[in-house]
Amino acid sequence: METFGVGMSEIVVRKGAAKYLCLGLGSCIGVAIYDPRADVSGMIHVMLPAAFPDRPVDQIGKFADTGIPALLMAMEKMGANKRNMKVAIAGGAQVFKFNNTGTNQLDIGRRNGEAVIEQLTKAGLKILAKDIGGTHGRTVTFTVPDGQVEVKTLSQGVSELCNLADNRERSAA
Amino acid sequence: MGVIITIDEMIDRTADLPVIPAVALRIMHEADSNTASASQIAMLLARDPALASRVLRLANSAYYGLSGQVFGLKEAVVVLGLRCVKNLALVAVSYPWLSKPLHGYGLDPKDLWMHSHGTAVAAMLAAQRSGRLRDDEAFTAGLLHDIGKLAMNVWLERKTEALIQLSSLNGWSFVECERTVLGYDHGQVGGRIAERWNLPLSVIDSARYHHEPDARPDPSLVVDAVHLGDYLASALGFGMGADGLQYALQPNTLVRLGLHPQDIDRIADDLERERRLQAESFEEIVA
Ligand SMILES: [Fe+2]
Ligand SMILES: [Fe+2]
Repeated sequence: METFGVGMSEIVVRKGAAKYLCLGLGSCIGVAIYDPRADVSGMIHVMLPAAFPDRPVDQIGKFADTGIPALLMAMEKMGANKRNMKVAIAGGAQVFKFNNTGTNQLDIGRRNGEAVIEQLTKAGLKILAKDIGGTHGRTVTFTVPDGQVEVKTLSQGVSELCNLADNRERSAA
Repeated sequence: MGVIITIDEMIDRTADLPVIPAVALRIMHEADSNTASASQIAMLLARDPALASRVLRLANSAYYGLSGQVFGLKEAVVVLGLRCVKNLALVAVSYPWLSKPLHGYGLDPKDLWMHSHGTAVAAMLAAQRSGRLRDDEAFTAGLLHDIGKLAMNVWLERKTEALIQLSSLNGWSFVECERTVLGYDHGQVGGRIAERWNLPLSVIDSARYHHEPDARPDPSLVVDAVHLGDYLASALGFGMGADGLQYALQPNTLVRLGLHPQDIDRIADDLERERRLQAESFEEIVA
């Protein structure tokens, strides 16, 4: 199976078997989406909550508000349907000691989490599992067709976050 | 626990600690002086032909869009500016040390380079946005801010796990853990290395105070820019190690730099692009 590294600001969409790797997420968020019926999957590595109105967008996948709609559209083009999409998100950490002076703006991780959830909700998608916030970096892997999403952290090692192919397995059983 | 050996003893006893080439050091001081001239910088560079040829290749790299048009050292200094050429020389000099793995910090090959270079670019962008300090000075200090890790690494190697546990159990930052286990942190060690190398004061201060700029008796804008740059490079996951995000952010740095919290996203946006473009065109030349 081919492994696709999903670098900062990148969007990767595939039909059929694939393995995605989002390496070293700090305040960034990895969003993994799977439509098991169409066997179309995708992942994005979001860096900031929103594009700037007065700046050109150099990479559409950089911002939650431009990247998530673009990811969904690319998946739909390959035959996926929003109604069958399962979503998992991970990342959005912040620095350990955040002298809280009411400047939430400095907490990029938390704002990324809020923006990603807002975009997914706006698109009518439910989030099956999320591992966001905290103060530790994460590496996320997502494999298709088994649908497994795993999160690796330095202190906890590897753990399964969820399985985005679950429903299909259940209905087939 | 407490002090096992002094900082100087640690530095003395660390095998394979790099040495800053004399020419690079002279260029750093020359670029900071008021009398700096293009021909002087070019003359200095010419004394180290290996370094000079890499600087020339960097000046001709895709990043500057002058590909193949810069023929001589003097021309490079005139076209790019002597402070830019100073930083190109430092990139060439420091890449080999910074791209080595540091197991004591959980850093794979190239991780510390990615983190240091990311911090340098972020500090430079913060300085440009602030307008209150020289951006090339921020880049230099950002590039060298974690040199203390080069010496601390060996001494932490079997203690990394314990430090991570200490941090999560007590809610301590990684520098607090270093101080508890070894008696001092990588900032203090880096500051001392920079002092012994005779690096410019802004580099010494940034190595020493980058995790706690508020602790410096009188604040330094370069240290503030490096602190913010380090925060952004860490948050964005550039070369993340065992210490990860276990540091404190001191928001006073923004106030001193005259930056607004809203500037953070804009600096991050630029940082992602500039760091990537520089790394793409610089790395094959300095590797
Ligand atoms: Fe540091
Ligand atoms: Fe650092």
